[in-house]
Amino acid sequence: MLILGIESATAQVGCAIGGHEGVLASAHSSKHRRHAENLTPAIEFICEQARIDLSEIGLVAVDVGPGLFTGLRVGIASAKAVAFALRVPMIGVSSLDLLAFPVRFSPRLIVAAIDARRGEVYFAFYRQVPGGVQRISDHAVGTPDDLASELLATGEEALLVGDGAHRYREAFEGQARVEIVDQGSSHPSAASLVQLAHAQALREEFAQIDEIAPIYLRRPDAEINWITRDSA
Amino acid sequence: MSAPSPVTPGRDTIVLGIETSCDETAAACVRGGTDVLSSVVSSQVDLHARYGGVVPEIASRAHNELIIPVTARALVEAGVEGSRVDVVAATTGPGLIGALLVGVSAAKALALTWGVPFVAVNHLEAHLYASFLEDPELRLPMVVLLVSGGHTMLVSMEDHGRYRLLGQTLDDAAGEAFDKVARFLGLGYPGGPAIDHHALSGDPEAIPFPRSMIDDGLDFSFSGLKTAVVNHVRKHPEVSTEDVAASFQAAVVDVLVAKSRRAAAETGAVALALGGGVAANSLLRERFLDACTDDDLHGFLPSRAMCTDNAAMIASAGWYVLGREGASGLDHGASPNLRLRTTI
Ligand SMILES: [Zn+2]
Repeated sequence: MLILGIESATAQVGCAIGGHEGVLASAHSSKHRRHAENLTPAIEFICEQARIDLSEIGLVAVDVGPGLFTGLRVGIASAKAVAFALRVPMIGVSSLDLLAFPVRFSPRLIVAAIDARRGEVYFAFYRQVPGGVQRISDHAVGTPDDLASELLATGEEALLVGDGAHRYREAFEGQARVEIVDQGSSHPSAASLVQLAHAQALREEFAQIDEIAPIYLRRPDAEINWITRDSA
Repeated sequence: MSAPSPVTPGRDTIVLGIETSCDETAAACVRGGTDVLSSVVSSQVDLHARYGGVVPEIASRAHNELIIPVTARALVEAGVEGSRVDVVAATTGPGLIGALLVGVSAAKALALTWGVPFVAVNHLEAHLYASFLEDPELRLPMVVLLVSGGHTMLVSMEDHGRYRLLGQTLDDAAGEAFDKVARFLGLGYPGGPAIDHHALSGDPEAIPFPRSMIDDGLDFSFSGLKTAVVNHVRKHPEVSTEDVAASFQAAVVDVLVAKSRRAAAETGAVALALGGGVAANSLLRERFLDACTDDDLHGFLPSRAMCTDNAAMIASAGWYVLGREGASGLDHGASPNLRLRTTI
């Protein structure tokens, strides 16, 4: 089964096509936040490169966040539209899971951290398991200092991955047991998305289009202000 | 994948239109530019009501949830299989950036997957085309008064694709003035229908609110009127809310109608049309038609469904734009401040 993967939860936007033969083509760009402008032509481009007609796609996988809201919605709306037009199922994968997957060969505690702006990061903890990683915490949003003290409390050696780890590196670098994965892997990759979705597809863990929803972790500001005003 | 072949829109061409610029998620199928096969609008007005206005992040989230179900319903109601759609058109501006991007992204992905052209539509131009959907007999040149929560403008439509901006608001949009005054009077949101309703039992001549700039050019200004309402109510707290609503509404309508008539006279228009959400106001509709009769103009009032935001007008405009300018690139984004492209 051929899978189209779309991810746009961070400053990067990307897509990939693959299946049981692995990843056949992928494209990523991360400058100027032109997610909506770049994504559709990129899908067209990778189809041409892999000599695949979109009608051959049997599954659409999408990064469901957490991440930057507007970019996230560009990817999810596009992915749902392709799945709807092709009448094929979907699979949603978390952006943090996508970040942890490429560093799955480390025995250390793995922490994925995405820049959430406003001085915060989205993060989750992972541990190596045969064939991949397993998330051992909920998705969370907090300040880099919150995350740093959680790390310290574990007393474990940890590997930090993601643009959130880079942006706030000074919060973590003081800790001798923490290492930050280099910039090259600091965005979720569409190729990882296709790989993870392929594994889930083998287990037939499909979702219908209306079951795919973004992981926001934050309410809209207006709603927060409303609730605080109400309880004041 | 084969590139979509150039489409010359004909009478059988089916355009799927998508609209997500503000707080309505809408999709529609229109054949041949004027034959509305379906028009589905999912309004988010209840989600925004308690905030007294549209909250962009809440709107974007709702669009993202609704875009596919609404599109699916538009296809089912039209009895059109997705693969039978010939063109996908979407609003690319003006509007809320995050909201627009949901519709643009979905529309481009549908066009790519079906292998059909994508057409970027200007929301304002689409409002002008809304009149043709219901009255194909409309003749040009025509003047359109476009009044909504986001816009107040007088446009001369000289030909398809040839527009002249005759006047616009210098501050608040007319619909915004209705919302602000309704909120101040405690009448709820959205303000247009609330004021309209309360004005029915009020005296429009009870308070002589200012008719800002009524004899002065074709531009509008409503912020002074809003201030006058606030000052009057503060000075006379016992005043009847119904009288304030009726007097405020009369002041707005006087200015809108006077300037529309003058615009039609100055441009030699043969028709005068209303568009935008405020076009649902009952006093404005009545006075607008009277003015057309007096001035011997072909007057056109859209149905309520067609004056508020909808996707049939997007599909219709998309049909005309495709014929005139061809398809848009798949690298098209959204333009929150897009203007109507005007001649002169
Ligand atoms: Zn509108």
